[in-house]
Amino acid sequence: MACRAAGEELPRPCCNGYSELAPADMRRALVQERPEKHSREEAAEGGELPALEDAYLSILEGLGENPARQGLLQTPRRAAKAMQFLTKGYQETIEDILNDAIFDEDHNEMVIVKDIDMFSLCEHHLVPFFGKVHIGYLPIKKVVGLSKLARIVEIFSRRLQVQERLTRQIALAITEALKPAGVAVIVEASKGQGDTKYQE
Amino acid sequence: MEKGKLGALLEQPPRSVSCNGYALEEKQPPPPPPAAPSRALERPRYSQGTSARCLDGWKEERTRSEEDNEMNLPSLAAAYTTILRSLGEDPERQGLLRTPWRAATAMQFFTKGYQETISDVLNDAIFDEDHDEMVIVKDIDMFSLCEHHLVPFVGKVHIGYLPNKQVLGLSKLARIVEIYSRRLQVQERLTKQIAVAITEALQPTGVGVVIEATHMCMVMRGVQKMNSKTVTSTMLGVFREDAKTREEFLTLIRS
Repeated sequence: MACRAAGEELPRPCCNGYSELAPADMRRALVQERPEKHSREEAAEGGELPALEDAYLSILEGLGENPARQGLLQTPRRAAKAMQFLTKGYQETIEDILNDAIFDEDHNEMVIVKDIDMFSLCEHHLVPFFGKVHIGYLPIKKVVGLSKLARIVEIFSRRLQVQERLTRQIALAITEALKPAGVAVIVEASKGQGDTKYQE
Repeated sequence: MEKGKLGALLEQPPRSVSCNGYALEEKQPPPPPPAAPSRALERPRYSQGTSARCLDGWKEERTRSEEDNEMNLPSLAAAYTTILRSLGEDPERQGLLRTPWRAATAMQFFTKGYQETISDVLNDAIFDEDHDEMVIVKDIDMFSLCEHHLVPFVGKVHIGYLPNKQVLGLSKLARIVEIYSRRLQVQERLTKQIAVAITEALQPTGVGVVIEATHMCMVMRGVQKMNSKTVTSTMLGVFREDAKTREEFLTLIRS
């Protein structure tokens, strides 16, 4: 069955970006889906900036523009830094932000945080998509600081993403951290061209 | 006579003094207009941008062809592969395998305005009409790329003009917006290019262009202000001189 996302024939059910992982690894990989952290930190410290700048310079030339004109002189550097910012989620982990904000509360009614602004990058075209995330969960004895839900959204959205995976990663992260009775995540997003995609 | 007046008005300094890629040319004395190129409509009414100082974006010359696109695609894709690797991602994983090609094709689409010229789009859609009331086409969706960060900015364009014996097919106004917005742009320059293109093509009594846009470079990064909009306008001819005409235009696009 052909995978629409990757555009290739695949001998397995339609992929969603993480079905290539063995089930045992899936939970771990979904929450912390990146290679060794130190290579990400290297990228964060600007070690990769020259390579990014060169890449953007060749993109400008390949598009037929004149990179020496005034408006574009610093563009490779600005675009490289912007791209690093837009993918800064790779440098962050859930433990960093959650470790001290889980509280024991005897509350077993639904908690909802809605209209969390979300900005992400489509991994297929490197085009931004943005929208809102709505999160609800039913706690069992443990609640999480509310802004931490927005931070979880930030960590996973500031990456190269597919909306389906983003939704699932947020839900799984909350499940792992709190072990609630249930979690629901809805992401509604668009690429600004007049269409909206809803993902639950 | 009207044409000369309009031409003189176009040579005035722009209302905004911030340098936006073509302010340099105004400090020099206007060079003589170039020899008319083969396009029938090319009657430059302004003296900026007629030399090799500013090769792209400002002039209407076609800087790219379909063959160029095909030739450049591999190097663009290689650049995107480098970007993916430098960001710490794994370009070999399934979701990213063809991303460099897709991103390169997408970027070529977002800059397809470099392949098109106004004369391609307009040659046969100018009609003689004895209409001298304002014509407005508003809420034209616009998608462009910020040339500073290569991040999109999206918004709406409102165009009004006072015809002088010649009117333009209405969808051609939207096509003019497309040609100039599908480039690496600065919103100020985009506004002016649209206004000047209409002026060149129709020689109307006046043209007004207003663009309001949201810049992703401000929303997704940097100051991260979600709800801010940037509004730029260019008023030429009677739209600049006559406050009442301008007022009528601005009122009508607001309603």
